[in-house]
Amino acid sequence: MTVWSWIRLRIYLWLLVKALKVAGWVLLVVAAVVLWPVTSVAGLAFAVAWLRGWPPVRLARTALWALPMTFISTVDRALHVHSWRALVLAPVHTWAASFHHLGGFHLVRTAVLLGPVAIPVGLALGSLLWWWRIFAISSGHAGWLASAPFTFDAQLWGRQVRTARGRTAAQGLVPLLARHGRIPVGGTIRSVGHGWHPIFSVPATACNRHQVFIGATGSGKTNLMMRLWAGWFRATLESSGTTGRRPALIVLDCKGGLDARQKAERTKRLLYGAGARRVAIWPEQASLSLWDLPPGDLAVLLFQMIESGDGAAAYYADIMQAVLMLATTAPVGPPLSAAGFLDRLNVRWLRVAWDDGRHPSEVDWIRAATKHMPDIQLRFVTLLQRLGPGLDGPGNLADADVWYFILEGTREPSVAEAQAMAITELTAAAAVGIGGTTEGPTSANTEPKLMLLAADDYSAVSGRVPLSNLYERGRSLGIGMQVSAQSWQGLGADEDERYRIAATADGGIWVLETPYPEPLSGLAGQRRVLDTARRMAGVAWGPDGTTQERRAWVADPELIRRLEVGQACYIHHGAATFVQVARPKPSPLTLMYQPLPAEPVVPPPRRDPVREPGPEPPPVPVQLEDVLGPGGPW
Amino acid sequence: MSTPDPFGILGLDPRAELTDADVHRAWRRIATATHPDRPDGGDIAEYTAASAAYTALRTAWGRGEARADLAQADLVAEGPTQPVWLSEPGPRPPGLGPWAAGRVRACWVLPLRVRHGRPARLVVRAVVAAAACLAALRVCAGDPAGPGLVTGIVTWFVLSGRGDLAPPPGR
Repeated sequence: MTVWSWIRLRIYLWLLVKALKVAGWVLLVVAAVVLWPVTSVAGLAFAVAWLRGWPPVRLARTALWALPMTFISTVDRALHVHSWRALVLAPVHTWAASFHHLGGFHLVRTAVLLGPVAIPVGLALGSLLWWWRIFAISSGHAGWLASAPFTFDAQLWGRQVRTARGRTAAQGLVPLLARHGRIPVGGTIRSVGHGWHPIFSVPATACNRHQVFIGATGSGKTNLMMRLWAGWFRATLESSGTTGRRPALIVLDCKGGLDARQKAERTKRLLYGAGARRVAIWPEQASLSLWDLPPGDLAVLLFQMIESGDGAAAYYADIMQAVLMLATTAPVGPPLSAAGFLDRLNVRWLRVAWDDGRHPSEVDWIRAATKHMPDIQLRFVTLLQRLGPGLDGPGNLADADVWYFILEGTREPSVAEAQAMAITELTAAAAVGIGGTTEGPTSANTEPKLMLLAADDYSAVSGRVPLSNLYERGRSLGIGMQVSAQSWQGLGADEDERYRIAATADGGIWVLETPYPEPLSGLAGQRRVLDTARRMAGVAWGPDGTTQERRAWVADPELIRRLEVGQACYIHHGAATFVQVARPKPSPLTLMYQPLPAEPVVPPPRRDPVREPGPEPPPVPVQLEDVLGPGGPW
Repeated sequence: MSTPDPFGILGLDPRAELTDADVHRAWRRIATATHPDRPDGGDIAEYTAASAAYTALRTAWGRGEARADLAQADLVAEGPTQPVWLSEPGPRPPGLGPWAAGRVRACWVLPLRVRHGRPARLVVRAVVAAAACLAALRVCAGDPAGPGLVTGIVTWFVLSGRGDLAPPPGR
């Protein structure tokens, strides 16, 4: 073979390949022109999907929703033609007739007449084309430049965000609660692994489990949590409508400050709109009684609230615990107030209470603790003064459907920690139906009360009770838990604790804008994607290349880092959904017809637990127990 | 609530101005007269009822809740003269099952949902849909495609118009 013939052969082969390609494209164009009603719809659908950032499934669902149109049209035609053959060929005849009259009006008329068939078929075709385009670009098969996948993804993300914002602006699309007990969160931006829906929603039952929220200050964490609270409350209220058991929502705002008051008021308005009868804001508008706790739990809690050390201090701590047990479990019943409790931290009171001939060992203990008693009383006077009147009654958790506790965790961490311990104990008691509810102890044949305990910025008060302990406590009591932190590091003291909390969040992890999302992305896992490498031939792509499988993040940390205010990523079951959270607002119709809530309770004036030094403590407890017997409601 | 009318048991009017002291005084009066430790044996049933009523009413929150329960009971007894039942999952119009009551509720609140939603957008959407229907029927005069297209346009209007309505009560 001469060089010239070899060159000619190469040229012919090149021409043949190009001719085949051109022929293929010509055939495709001809088919598109011939089937112009379908291709017009498909092209339009493709363009709209690109401009709005829709996923292909959105077009496919639209095609399904167009099928009733086809059905009605077919039925109507069947009633007229009485022949299967004519019925099937009718669209073909309409289509063929359009080529006899190529005027503008006739083309429009043909398009309209063929609409019932062309629209669903065109939408389905557009969906396929759009799916192929996304696949080809993201896997590197298409695009002019090597950066095409990134450029394409960035453009698509921007359009998806814009569309999701438009959806969340329509309150009718994002009510507090949707059908089937699902809580709409906002417009879906992007879904990886989860089924895509225009409005992303989570089942209300997810809030009965454990959820973690990570997001910097101002990232929209509170809005998201409030939406979930309102949705959960409404869903639980509706599901328990026939039993009459109302749900209870306990919110611990552990950071405090003026901002917390505003959040509390918003929560109050929102929860009234969701059906709550009473929303109590503690400590400003309502109070709780620590003394409603069962005596044994009360003694343990009071002991834990006081700092105790090792060595000689441990000996002293044991004595203190014994005195507390004696004071709270006295035969006349538990103390009813801080003043009553402090009265009991007195040798004479305890001796009179226990020296009935049936408790000789207790009397011995009292004798042994005599010299420590003034110290113990002093410590508890100080503690109860610092705790404030908010935990000295009146009131219990059953007085309201929703309790919003404001703890000054930033300003007074040690006080807030003690308050958080007390409130957690009261919540635990209420969860099992004692000391805090009017329903009495939960028995085997009654359902436990549905409760959700949300701790916002719990890290501010986690010094004495680590978050993982609270978490496990909630799990053991069967109540829903939501904990939030401003960063991954704020979730726990060490890496083990953080992973223990996040990895057991079976209700899902919500990540908002945060600078270090990698551990959370790691929990979401990775997915398989195709990556194509092509060889450059001159200034364009050559025909050679390889495609290989690689792993990519399900919840891309780069995307999470770039989340804007109000955007969140929900990680659950190895899938992630990015969502534009809608600001929670109750339906205006609810507020029109809800009975007005009662006036908020103004706490009683602060009582100073320090009593004036009297000549002698009373020989016997002078309370209503003496007259009417122990255990009454006085 | 555990007691049907705790105010009545304690001989109190369900007024919003009632104070803790008023309730306590009323309970003490009954408790001292009916306590089982009295020489005459007292009246344990009345004492128990009074104690339960006191437990329910001893805080302002409790009294508010009891008043709300009473108001709701009165409303159910009077029948649905006011649309409060629209927002409550529990009570419903007498004689209707849950499904029918739900449909009645939905129809009843629809005008309100339109009014408190985005009525201007909804009107524009309705006008566009109506115009499209008319155009389709005119172009397809006598052809079966006409009813089909009208069905498609109505489907679009219903699906896309939901976002322009205010959420139903309680949602």
